[in-house]
Amino acid sequence: MILAKLAFKSLLNRRASVCLTLLTIAISVMLLLSIERIRLDAKSSFSNTISGTDLIVGARTGDIQLLLSSVFRIGHANNGISWESYNYIKNQRGVKWTIPISLGDSHKGNAVLGTSPDYFTYYRYAKKQNLRFVAGQAFKHINDVVLGNEVATKLGYKLGDSIVISHGMGNTSFHHHKDNPFTVVGILAPTGTPVDKTLHIPLGAIDLIHASHSRHASSAHDEHDEHDEHDEHDEHDEHDEHDEHDEHDEHDEHDEHDEQNNALIGQPKQITAFLMGFNSPLYTLQMRRNINQYKPEALLAIMPAVTLKELWEMLTIVEKVLLLFSAVVVLISLLGMLTTLLANLNQRRRELAILRSVGAKPWHIFTLMSIESLFITLLGCIVGCIWFYVLMLTSATYLQTHAGISINITSLSYYELTLIAIIMGSGFIIGLIPATRAYFYSLTDGMSIKV
Amino acid sequence: MITLSNISFKWHKKALSNTLNIPYLSINKGEHVFLHGPSGCGKSTLLSLLAGINSPTSGELTILGKSLQMLTKAKRDAFRADNIGYIFQNFNLLPYLTPIENVVLGCQFSTSRKRNALKHASSLEQQAAHLLNALGLDTNLHYSNAADLSIGQQQRVAAARAFIGSPAIIIADEPTSALDTDNRQHFINLLFEQAKNSNSTLVFVSHDNSLQPLFNRSINLVTLQDKL
Repeated sequence: MILAKLAFKSLLNRRASVCLTLLTIAISVMLLLSIERIRLDAKSSFSNTISGTDLIVGARTGDIQLLLSSVFRIGHANNGISWESYNYIKNQRGVKWTIPISLGDSHKGNAVLGTSPDYFTYYRYAKKQNLRFVAGQAFKHINDVVLGNEVATKLGYKLGDSIVISHGMGNTSFHHHKDNPFTVVGILAPTGTPVDKTLHIPLGAIDLIHASHSRHASSAHDEHDEHDEHDEHDEHDEHDEHDEHDEHDEHDEHDEHDEQNNALIGQPKQITAFLMGFNSPLYTLQMRRNINQYKPEALLAIMPAVTLKELWEMLTIVEKVLLLFSAVVVLISLLGMLTTLLANLNQRRRELAILRSVGAKPWHIFTLMSIESLFITLLGCIVGCIWFYVLMLTSATYLQTHAGISINITSLSYYELTLIAIIMGSGFIIGLIPATRAYFYSLTDGMSIKV
Repeated sequence: MITLSNISFKWHKKALSNTLNIPYLSINKGEHVFLHGPSGCGKSTLLSLLAGINSPTSGELTILGKSLQMLTKAKRDAFRADNIGYIFQNFNLLPYLTPIENVVLGCQFSTSRKRNALKHASSLEQQAAHLLNALGLDTNLHYSNAADLSIGQQQRVAAARAFIGSPAIIIADEPTSALDTDNRQHFINLLFEQAKNSNSTLVFVSHDNSLQPLFNRSINLVTLQDKL
């Protein structure tokens, strides 16, 4: 008790150097915790990007390339899948749903995704969460667009706004499809995935904006034979005031719905890729093999969960380097503490002699010095944790919007507590060095003051 | 009280000559002894033996009826904490403690001295303040910064620390060498007064022979060793 009090007062007396030591330890702890938290949250954000999809099918290319282009909108898929192949595979046994996607256009640097209304029903992310709308609804007309949350907030779009799509990717695309402005009908809730940065338009609109200047080129379709399994869409039963359907009065409601879907999907020559879900996961491997061996066209089917893991493993070197750097920073800060304690020790030999004269045993001296280093490390860790939370709270929104990493502000995990315990342990062990020296000083010096 | 017989001490076992060689020395309870001799005659060594920091190489050292060389190091540390108050030449205080805290430190490592101190006052701080006043340190300085005190004031705090809890023996290692003549006399008189109050034996070491007349007994360490 008296030793703890002495240690505390002694540290307080040397507060300038102690504060600096404490500061370096706190910074290193903050850095280590932040890097680890961001690393883990990046990993989970990353693997949360897509879920519930059993296969992604695209033209034959690399597994990771297909994943990057179809899910992360990174890079271009050079080839597409023909509409015939898509329809063939879609009608195989066990297929529960498919989402065709067509990429390649952009709006102010954000990807434009042509898809079917099924996208809003079957696309899942994170822990099998559905996409939700914060405003509006899925597209119902060929010129409707549904915005990802970030697109809407960053560009300030509201429901009813008019948007022009550019051909090709990037901000500086010169070729604008000015003839075909789109109307915002829905805004999705934030997901922390590339969906937030995507504009969703009907698949049929993609061909439309490229093919012709006529807005109504796709208004009449003759064959609807392959769309026989849209029975899940029974809830869309009120489409009474849609002008495209004025001439289809003879259809019943189900047909009218199919008709509308057909109009939205259109008859594209090819699509970039499509996502599939099966009635049972047992179909997955069989179907994957069949698709990869599909004769008429060179196709590739990947299991997104597996490929995500492969992709992350490619990135592990980066995370290991980050971890190494922060570990080195912690080590340097602890060595800084050692330097300060050792440098002070020589000046404090008189102090040790005084303590010996009032009856302190060498063991007391050792304990006193150990308490000091432990106290510095402990306080450094506490301050570091506080700064870590301040940093996370202030940068969470930035990381979410700029890096797509959703940071969880939670209490320290078991892993993080282990890290802190390791730092505390190393601090304690390093503190034993000056403590041991002080012990031997007090043995040899006794009460003769050598300074 | 303190008895040394045939004491010899070497710093290293292989050293050729003894640093200290005392055939016989006895100090009685309550005596104020002036121990003097030139530098290098073994004063510091003798004090380290008396304080139990070192153990004699040969001979018998008995303090308060206890054979010190028979005790373990830890026991000697505890013995020192209980029975010996020590005043250094200068720089006696821990700079980060107030004068009061420095005085109280004197009984922090000994329960018997704590008990003794509490016989006279209700708290250790109160007893420390009492001793500081008796040694002439103004109350307004009791909680000041120890480093701000003059050397004379610091030595008074050191003396108070040595006396708190009334240890049987006070060892003063040239405590007045940093003081001027007037202060020196005054300080020694204060020491005598406190030693009388607590009924302590005072061993005062100095190379300054001019202080000799103040003491009722004086021992020349050089002649003491010559007797061999």
